[in-house]
Amino acid sequence: MLLVLSEEQKAHLGCLPQAGDAAVGELGRLALELLRRGATPRACEATARKLNVGVDTVQHGVEGLAYLLTESSKLMVSEVDFQDSIHVLGFSEELNKLLLQLYLDNRKEIRSILGELTPKLPSYHSLEWRLDVQLASRSLRQQIKPAVTIKLHLNQNEDQTAQVLQTDPSTLLHLIQQLEQALGEMKTNHCRRIVRNMK
Amino acid sequence: ILDDPDLKDIDPTVLKHCHAAAATCILEAGKQKADVSAISTCLEDCKLDKERIEQFCTEYQKNKDALEILLGSIGRSPLHITDVSWRLEYQIKSNQLHKTYQPSYLVTLNVENSDSGSHPDVSFTCTMEQLQDLVGKLKDAAKSLERATQM
Repeated sequence: MLLVLSEEQKAHLGCLPQAGDAAVGELGRLALELLRRGATPRACEATARKLNVGVDTVQHGVEGLAYLLTESSKLMVSEVDFQDSIHVLGFSEELNKLLLQLYLDNRKEIRSILGELTPKLPSYHSLEWRLDVQLASRSLRQQIKPAVTIKLHLNQNEDQTAQVLQTDPSTLLHLIQQLEQALGEMKTNHCRRIVRNMK
Repeated sequence: ILDDPDLKDIDPTVLKHCHAAAATCILEAGKQKADVSAISTCLEDCKLDKERIEQFCTEYQKNKDALEILLGSIGRSPLHITDVSWRLEYQIKSNQLHKTYQPSYLVTLNVENSDSGSHPDVSFTCTMEQLQDLVGKLKDAAKSLERATQM
């Protein structure tokens, strides 16, 4: 699958050929920082001074590179497709190789950053359990009532919540049976066929 | 009771007192898990004759188990899990990231609150490894339960 770059983006990346290899590396680093942490105007200014170009040029170059990297990582573009996509920019062989290397080296990290942007439900973090036996209450003395108290830790948008829940022994066994069935589903032929055919 | 035709002739206030007294006696007996002799002694002190004591005790014995269950269910406890539902899905892509190809489980624990009857269920997603971790821990709990019953 080929990337399609708009005219504006091509213009942004147009500053790269004049920059030289070390500078491209520097711009690549800035692009990754942009993805990891957000805009870094100071770093852009410093680089602009070092390379003796305008701040705007540096910023556009960084943004253009960031777009190139995120789009390729998002679509999981193959090496060949990546090379074909940037071919249209008319860069030198070395620059193309540099960009390809930059893409391949950082693809995994960019994909994991993008993965955090998807809509999410609270996700499982861990579970603690405790076995209790209730011996008496205000309404009834001399009881023997076993219960399992569970503390369920969940992550929601970087907050950890803990919820305290309780079950009785028979429900616990039922839960285990149901969830084991759920785990078993991935191993059925149906699921295996789908996983195989959807690469 | 106030509408019962058999009890029409008795003064309503007396009826209410009798009802309250009987209810209190039954609840106390149930709470303390009193046996027949303890109840008989108590009623003798209240100057009831033998026949009435026997009638009361017979009725009490008939309903004792139901009473105990009822009393045992009163009281506060953390949210109680009653059931679980799960959904297995295979993620293909999102608008931010294509070609993810990851199986993921959505688990919902149906939860009941002893006070208000119902409560929003607890839902969460997890990967296969996380679900295995969860099931492993629940199995540990079940094993320790089994060991405790054998002690």
